[in-house]
Amino acid sequence: MLALQILVNGLLLGGLYVLIAQSLNLIFGVMGVVNLAHGAFIVVAGLFTYWFASSTGINPLAVLPFVFIVMALVGAGLQPLLIEPLMKMGRSKAELLSLMVTFGLDYVLVELALQVWGSSFVSVPYLQSSWKLAGLDFSQALVVTGMFAALVSALLYWWLNRTDSGKSLLAASQSETGAICCGIDVKRVRMLAFALGVALAAAAGVLVIIVEALAPQTADDLTLLAFVIIALGGLGSYVGVAVAALLLGVAQSITGYFVGGNAEYVLPYVLLILVMVALPGRFRRA
Amino acid sequence: MPGNEDTGRRVRGVIAAVVVLAIFVAIPLRSRGYLLQLGTDTLSAVTLAYGWNLIGGFAGYFSFGQVSFYGLGAYATALLVLRAHMPWYFAALASGLVGAAAALVLGRIMLRLRGILFALGMLGLARILEVVFNNWHYAGASVGLSLPAVLTPVAVYVGMGLLALISFCITAYFVYSGFGLDVMSLNEDEDAALSVGVPTTRVKVIAFVLSGALPAIAGGLTAWNHSYIDPTSAFDPGVDLLTVVYVMFGGIGTLWGPLIGAVVLMIVGEEFLVYFPNLELALYGIVVIATVLAFPGGLVGLANRFGWLMRPIILAPKGLPAGAPPERAPPRGTQPVLEVRDLTVRFGGLTAVDRVSLSVARGETVCIIGANGAGKTTFFNAITGVVQPTSGEILYFGDPISHLPTFRRAQRGMARSFQIPRLMPSFTVWENVLLASRHGRQSHRVVEHTAWVLHTMGLAGMWRDPVSRLTPGFQRQLEFARVLALSPELVMLDEVMAGMTREEQEQVRGVIRRLPEFGIAGVACVEHVIAAVADLCDRMVVLDFGRKIAEGPPGVVLKDPVVVRAYLGEPI
Repeated sequence: MLALQILVNGLLLGGLYVLIAQSLNLIFGVMGVVNLAHGAFIVVAGLFTYWFASSTGINPLAVLPFVFIVMALVGAGLQPLLIEPLMKMGRSKAELLSLMVTFGLDYVLVELALQVWGSSFVSVPYLQSSWKLAGLDFSQALVVTGMFAALVSALLYWWLNRTDSGKSLLAASQSETGAICCGIDVKRVRMLAFALGVALAAAAGVLVIIVEALAPQTADDLTLLAFVIIALGGLGSYVGVAVAALLLGVAQSITGYFVGGNAEYVLPYVLLILVMVALPGRFRRA
Repeated sequence: MPGNEDTGRRVRGVIAAVVVLAIFVAIPLRSRGYLLQLGTDTLSAVTLAYGWNLIGGFAGYFSFGQVSFYGLGAYATALLVLRAHMPWYFAALASGLVGAAAALVLGRIMLRLRGILFALGMLGLARILEVVFNNWHYAGASVGLSLPAVLTPVAVYVGMGLLALISFCITAYFVYSGFGLDVMSLNEDEDAALSVGVPTTRVKVIAFVLSGALPAIAGGLTAWNHSYIDPTSAFDPGVDLLTVVYVMFGGIGTLWGPLIGAVVLMIVGEEFLVYFPNLELALYGIVVIATVLAFPGGLVGLANRFGWLMRPIILAPKGLPAGAPPERAPPRGTQPVLEVRDLTVRFGGLTAVDRVSLSVARGETVCIIGANGAGKTTFFNAITGVVQPTSGEILYFGDPISHLPTFRRAQRGMARSFQIPRLMPSFTVWENVLLASRHGRQSHRVVEHTAWVLHTMGLAGMWRDPVSRLTPGFQRQLEFARVLALSPELVMLDEVMAGMTREEQEQVRGVIRRLPEFGIAGVACVEHVIAAVADLCDRMVVLDFGRKIAEGPPGVVLKDPVVVRAYLGEPI
């Protein structure tokens, strides 16, 4: 029973990770850009939700659509300014320089968040109890956020594979030149991908703050967590990333129970290095 | 970008820099107090920036975790002072060794990764270390360690100054020496560097070790200076941000950039912080974004536009010497130059090369032809060591070489050209050839040999030009020159004629005909333009779907019905 409970907790946590990672994956897949400000967007959205929900008493989940739209606009505004100018420099150069730019952006966002909300950890007190089913505890917050995350991920998957705009995004991520030849406006696709990636990160932030406490300085941990998952799942693969997110959730739940909180915290980084070093072939590009 | 500068200007520049530095060093010493602290912090920033620049700037391996070494050094010093009662200066020096040892071990693991993965792997490493030190009771866990509060600010300042000077000298060595050229070639094209004999792993590990030792000593001195160290400040990712900002702002991969960037931003930051006490990192974030987008070369890049602070052309003599051809080495034994036995290469389920044998005798030119996807380039890659063969044997002058890495094969005289020239784009013509000469069989007379190759290949008129200014035809010629620079015994040419005009083909044919007089014992080439090689080669080998289907003199092979059907197409 205990084993099952750990598994359930892990899977629910993993459900949230799917959303955290998928948004980073989207931007990486299309532009080859690892957005180091990813965690900062999550944190900013989460803290905004905390502030909004606690000062108005409105249901935090109701804030989600609003945050999603606002952050999509922010992403659409930032991409032409910060990322697009690098795209002319060729993929490998753009990859590295975009790391620099988003590294800078990360600090700008985190410092501003620190100014606005301070450095203490906060969480939205919502859905604190748990449902009992077949002798297992299902944390309400995790179930609801996990379901929201699954819903958003499913919508993303459907959009990517079933709509014209989604397909043109997939096409651009596979071959930029090929996509241009098919009449796809790759510039617009890149802007769309970045906007969507930022908006999804923000949506994840709204959900994360319901489940666990956030502070501006946790931004880098979230970025790295997301990166570990997309590295595990195979850079750019949507199904692989979903599986990796669930597995990581379970693995963390297991180490958290048997070894302790520190091990749970370090696990993603250890996995990151182990995976990259043990499977170097997968990460080397010809 | 390297450039030309006359010596007089250079000397004047160095004198000016020394005077400025002397003033800069003297002011804090006279005033003590606040300025002394600012001076020490600035010198620490300069050291960190130079350390990061060695691996991130010259080798092109961006690290977001060099703070790991800073933190390790700080802890090593604190522990040595507290537990082993070592004097602080010895402890700081020993911390440099700790940093170097850590970088040696970590480098061998982490440097297998490239690009984003290396950068983020290092970021993860710093987080792991922070957690480890947060829980390690011997090192004070999350409370940290307090050192005896013995104030030696002047001594620390002088120590940090010496360290910054050493960092500068190491960087100067990178900018002026052949070893520096090896390091920079990693940033240009690592695979091409391997193919001209650069031992890339060793080179980048050395750069990484130096770039780990410097911040470790700086961390040690800082720990002593602050009399306190804890995991949060020792492994603060903000330190990495600042270091990256200094380097980018000053000019990445340059001699003066880290110094200028760190000094300017430290002083400007100090003035600014009075007005924006809590936005320091946000402002630096904006600086790095603006630098990357608006002037990627940083301040030194801007100066370069006026011809100032240019990187010198490495080991370039004043004028191009006439050079001399290499002495002929006595022929080695009687074995054939190359003998490949039953070589097989499989990628997953696909057999790209299927039990192909090939031999190249002394003085022989063998040409491999075949349709696209016949496995020609893979066959070449397996011989040069770029691809690991599944089975089979490769003998070079009778010695098995399958276990040798690519760069060793190149060093022993097996030179290859690439289908699309893979030159080092921001090097000069001279440096491209020099890089190969350094690792070839004439490495004891690099300058004469390089000069001779440039004259022989008709590149003497443009020897100081950057590669980006060459026409595609000259770029191919330079690729050929690089092959000759290794002073090889076996030359392997991968579709050198592809996409060439008639005249260019004629030029290359001329060079191939002359190869024997350069001491080259055998030639193997892969070619599509059959007409251009049919009369040059002694033997032709035809591959089809990874198998050898014919072999013999060109006249016979080209009339073989099997070959005609597989390759040239059947008459309708």
